[in-house]
Amino acid sequence: MAERPRVYKTEGIILRRRNIGEADSIFTVYSKEFGKFDAVARGVRKARSHMRGHLEPLTRSRLMVARGRTLDVFTQAETVAPYRAIREDLERGAEAMYCAELVDRFAGEHIEHPGLYELILDVLDALETGLAAHVVRFFEMQILSLMGYELQLAACAVCAGRLPEEETLLSPVAGGLVCAACRATAGVGRLVSVRAVKVLRFARTTDVTGFAALRVDAELAAELHRAMTEMIRYLLDRELGSGQFVDEVNRMGRAEAKAGEAGVQLGQTT
Amino acid sequence: MPEGAAGTPEPIARLIEAFHKLPGVGPKSAQRLAYYILRAPEQEAAALAGAIQDVKSRIKLCSVCLNITESDPCSYCQDPRRDGSAVCVVEQPLDILALERAGAFRGRYHVLHGVLNPMDGIGPEHLHIRELLERLRDGEVKEVIMATNPSLEGEATAMYIQRLVSPLGVRVTRLARGLPSGADLEYTDDVTLARALEGRQEI
Repeated sequence: MAERPRVYKTEGIILRRRNIGEADSIFTVYSKEFGKFDAVARGVRKARSHMRGHLEPLTRSRLMVARGRTLDVFTQAETVAPYRAIREDLERGAEAMYCAELVDRFAGEHIEHPGLYELILDVLDALETGLAAHVVRFFEMQILSLMGYELQLAACAVCAGRLPEEETLLSPVAGGLVCAACRATAGVGRLVSVRAVKVLRFARTTDVTGFAALRVDAELAAELHRAMTEMIRYLLDRELGSGQFVDEVNRMGRAEAKAGEAGVQLGQTT
Repeated sequence: MPEGAAGTPEPIARLIEAFHKLPGVGPKSAQRLAYYILRAPEQEAAALAGAIQDVKSRIKLCSVCLNITESDPCSYCQDPRRDGSAVCVVEQPLDILALERAGAFRGRYHVLHGVLNPMDGIGPEHLHIRELLERLRDGEVKEVIMATNPSLEGEATAMYIQRLVSPLGVRVTRLARGLPSGADLEYTDDVTLARALEGRQEI
């Protein structure tokens, strides 16, 4: 990756914020040219700060940054895309925060990950325009590939043998699907349905709009979500806070739907 | 251990260490503060120690609104002139002071003591949301005003609480967003400008 000049311009997605001191914040950015980096914005918490709204997490901004001795410093920031629909919707906001946390956990500081910036924009644009939330599974599959954890889905990850078209073990330890004969050697994992395997394979060959167009029912969506969550938990060796929040918000949505149904039924009987 | 701690008498080293733990205090500032206390008159040091002890022993959370208070319930919750039908939900006790300074609200408060920040592991269970829902049970409260910060985290918190409160038949409102006084349009971010336009008023 290019050495950062003394003052550099880049475009990036703000991933997270940490407040320090009286009115400063440190922001973690994933940038197009310089990968992930931290920089401080001085006085950004004051009401009249010029950079304030342009450095909100989940904003795509053009940035000017000065290299500092310990920490780089933002000197200018201007919004390219505010992703307003994402931040005004609890479900989509939670999914987007989860994607941002994945980037923050997987990407190394000042390391170039070709294709990652475009992938982040793809998923945020998809969530912003209201494409189905299962695009996040596409994002997970793609980020795993970009980070060198591409799942082995074509053949058994242990013996490279053919996989019959049936429920198959997806093993985080083996890094992919495992045939029935190798199950004992592949450690724990989760049995995934034929439908789910097909969706995961499709995620590798298509683009975000192609994947969003897939019809995924609630049962399949839940299965894919569980399988990918376990895979990522194993790879990162941690539970993602934003992933738990997504689950919490989804639980709330299901409870509301149920209450709505009960209300309708009640209305019909009277 | 702060720099130069070797050879420093143990009580001073302990004091330096204690100051060093305070937010924004580096090793050098910690040393300076500790040596200031060492030279300060006896009663000044005792006053500081007493103030620290009092704050820990006498200040508690209001059992109704969770504001920091010396008397329980706190003065806002006890004041009969305040309107009990409106509850303003804020992130921090300091936000109450800001709203009181503005002087435009005469209802009651509820302090969450934080804001949803899933990436840092702050989930709904870490905030005082359950206590808020508990308060809404008796039907006295007709309106909940979400006064969390207009940040990604504050908005998510407001939306999350709205989803829990609305089914109880309580009206949920959100502070308006727009331009702060003295702002420059040129530097204003897109979301703020768009909302300011949507919320424009006849003059």
